[in-house]
Amino acid sequence: MLGIAPTVPAPPRLDGAARAEVRRPGPAATAPPSYWDALEPLLPRVKKPAQYVGGEHNQVVAGWGSAETRWLLCYPDTYEVGQPNQGIQILYEILNERPTALAERAYAPWTDLEALQREHGIPTFSLESHRPLWAFDVFGVTLPHELGHTNLLNLLDLGGISHRSDRRTIDDPIVVVGGHAAYNPEPLAPFIDVAVMGDGEQVAIDIDDCVRAFKRDREAGAAGGSGTELTRHDLLVRLAAVEGCYVPAFYEARYHEDGRLKQVVSIQKGAPSLVPKRTIQDLEQWPYPRKQLVPMTETVHERFSVEIFRGCTRGCRFCQAGMITRPVRERRPETIQKLVEEGVKDTGFNEVGLLSLSSADHSAIAPIARDLADTYEGTVTSLSLPSTRVDAFNVTLSNELARNGRRTGLTFAPEAGSDRMRAVINKMVREEDLLQTAEIAFSEGWRHIKLYFMVGLPTERDEDVLAIAELGIKTYELARKHGKANKVTISVGGFVPKPHTPFQWAPQDPPEEIKRKLTMIRQTIKHHSGLKLRTNDPEEGVIEGLLARGDRRVAPAVERAWQLGARFDGWHEMPTLPTWRQAMDETGVELAWFSYRERDEKEALPWDHLDSGLEKSWLWEDWEDARSDKQLDDCRWSACYDCGVCPGLSIEHDTGYSGGFQLPVLPSNLGGSQALPTTPERYAAGD
Amino acid sequence: MGATVTRYTTGDEQERAVSQRFRIRWTKEGRTRFVSARDLTSVWERALRRADLPIAYSEGFTPHAKVSFPDALPVGVSSTGEYAELTFAAPIVPARDLGALSTSLPAGMDITTYLEVPDGAPKLARMLRATLWELVWPASDAAELTELLRRRCEELRRADQAEVIRHRPDGDRTIDVRPAVLELATFTRTTVPAPTRTEPTGSDAHTVLRAVLRNDGPTVRPTDLHAALSREDVAPPIATVRVAQGEAVPDGLREALSGEVERLVPDVDAEAA
Repeated sequence: MLGIAPTVPAPPRLDGAARAEVRRPGPAATAPPSYWDALEPLLPRVKKPAQYVGGEHNQVVAGWGSAETRWLLCYPDTYEVGQPNQGIQILYEILNERPTALAERAYAPWTDLEALQREHGIPTFSLESHRPLWAFDVFGVTLPHELGHTNLLNLLDLGGISHRSDRRTIDDPIVVVGGHAAYNPEPLAPFIDVAVMGDGEQVAIDIDDCVRAFKRDREAGAAGGSGTELTRHDLLVRLAAVEGCYVPAFYEARYHEDGRLKQVVSIQKGAPSLVPKRTIQDLEQWPYPRKQLVPMTETVHERFSVEIFRGCTRGCRFCQAGMITRPVRERRPETIQKLVEEGVKDTGFNEVGLLSLSSADHSAIAPIARDLADTYEGTVTSLSLPSTRVDAFNVTLSNELARNGRRTGLTFAPEAGSDRMRAVINKMVREEDLLQTAEIAFSEGWRHIKLYFMVGLPTERDEDVLAIAELGIKTYELARKHGKANKVTISVGGFVPKPHTPFQWAPQDPPEEIKRKLTMIRQTIKHHSGLKLRTNDPEEGVIEGLLARGDRRVAPAVERAWQLGARFDGWHEMPTLPTWRQAMDETGVELAWFSYRERDEKEALPWDHLDSGLEKSWLWEDWEDARSDKQLDDCRWSACYDCGVCPGLSIEHDTGYSGGFQLPVLPSNLGGSQALPTTPERYAAGD
Repeated sequence: MGATVTRYTTGDEQERAVSQRFRIRWTKEGRTRFVSARDLTSVWERALRRADLPIAYSEGFTPHAKVSFPDALPVGVSSTGEYAELTFAAPIVPARDLGALSTSLPAGMDITTYLEVPDGAPKLARMLRATLWELVWPASDAAELTELLRRRCEELRRADQAEVIRHRPDGDRTIDVRPAVLELATFTRTTVPAPTRTEPTGSDAHTVLRAVLRNDGPTVRPTDLHAALSREDVAPPIATVRVAQGEAVPDGLREALSGEVERLVPDVDAEAA
């Protein structure tokens, strides 16, 4: 064979003293090798190679020597899923704005590239400069859910550092995790160095300051020959003193003889016994991300996104996000308008997403939507927002956003089928209102309604499950009344109890039970051919549930599952449950104990030492209310019910509802083309 | 909720009256050669919006920018011979505005030539009847390989047909390469265009194969040409470049927009064919 390309060996992994040289602050550092030349010839052999090349509009490329601290920010899933993540983009911009810091990004390689990377000695790399993970000071990973845990271990191992924190040295990066799954990082305790709960903006800066000071001190110590060399332990001690930084190595879990957890206690001086979440009071001070990355290949959300408020106090009892992100802090309408206009110009995106946990709940959503709709009237720029509201206001708002456009699909999330079940989960919508809303939507020209539900909720009976099917059928009958081609889809998932919620004590339904309930629904609707049912694989919640509420004893199963090849646990393409079951067997982790058992009030929970701001006693009270079908109103516009967050954090709601102004839920008899409530600005109205 | 909503432009009648069409030649090199054909439209639409150019949109509920690409380049192949047709809803200042567009495109994509299109002009595809391809092999055994390929090219030129099997996920397909082959030349060259996968070792003369292939018959790709020449003793090239497209002429290719002839064997750096 002629013309064979001589193989270019990948640059070697540096260790020890050589790695220390790479990590020195500023121009004194030796720049680490770029793996681009080794990677490039492999790219034609993998799927979707554009995800590995970087080069997007708004990426930041800085010289290695220009920074004292260097971060590799990571979303532990594919680029396609992780690139749009707002958290990573916020921190990327904030850190790169600091003159002393540099931040690049990494995502998980798909299995085809991973195999080639291992074969050719190419480590986990950054997209910007294709620098190796091992060269960075901080590996900052967001864990929006639990199904990236095995990917995290894989990225560490592939990145040229040990996946176990106690085997890493001063010349390895510090592994910091954040995101919603960081509210119970115990199953990852042996693998991570630091977990941070809450808003990342300020704490990222605090961590950066801490690492920079440490590196300076270490340089000074080495230069002065003081003899007492700073160690990795010293850095972790300093980090544990940063508010909101939880260093699992400094805590010990103690258990009762029957296996229940007794307590997780601090065993290191300076490591607080209760670690608080971080919360920023004023979103206006953090108008990020402004310079959003524009992908060159398909991702799950290609749009310019603006977070219009953070937090939610609807109080849905199943919803971890709503519980842990309190209180509600709104961005001002004029700031939103400015961010959108500048961002759309800068990125070229033709879609705008107004993000939050329930965007129709912004106190000024009507004027915000109208002003943006005015701005983009007659252009191809479209507007969208996620909302959990199920009322006529939602339809009117959607009409406004769809001005000039086609009224295609509307999504509502009743979450449960019966009024009783919705009282249990505190989703305050009655069936008659829901049906009236659907009627309005179809009469105003919307063609397709999607309804989201869960099964496996606490106290659920078969009649509650059947009520999902019945509600779907009733909605479908309304749909047909307004047009033969109209469609209804009901989408049903299995409920997974999460930490820091009133349902944290609840048993999770095993997959067989979820499957039985889904079959009931399928049987009931089978004669209504235009009514579609979408379900997730009932087994998908198993790993998520174990990792959500597991303690440190689950960690060996995570490690074993990864060693056995588990990756991308959230992907249909990767059925990893059999691997996990084997890992659980081998490590003695009992799924029933962690997931399918109801916990009582007295039992210590693995996250009791991690303070989300919510009083455990209030959560228990709310759990008891749930079991007696008792509802609780939203504290944005009704009385405080002492969940504990505001006084605990010395902050409060920052919304236009502060004056006690009522949410303008429109009457359900709203006519065809009525506009949104005209702008007596709701801020003014609240006064 | 989460509304799925699309918008459309209004005033299409007016736009048509003042619309302006351009054909451009552009490059797809470096990292951007991994951008797939299906992602191109959104990459260009966003670049046009960033450059604030009045690109026209199609009518209807799912409007798309009027940017059309005549044919797809395989992912990973580099090109100095990509083309596109852009329709603007309002007149532009081409040198300034297409320059701005070139700047706002990702690094590796550059506009190199433009031509305003009068009404009634033939379709762009009809101006791109042939492609000049370049395949490059490493320098390690260049002399021997160049000689071998030169012989194989000669045999191919004389043959009536040359069937190769193209492996695809949906099954194998047999393709006759011969009808597409208009010109072939093999030579060695000391400078090679990016991307090169390897540093030259020993001798720095690389084997280069240049071919003019017809575009107006069944599609024949450079990989098919390689298959026809290789007989499993020639490795795949380290770089494949779509150099230019246009009309085949005796000594090369007349580039579609500039009318300049790109010679099959460039004078510079090349030893005799």
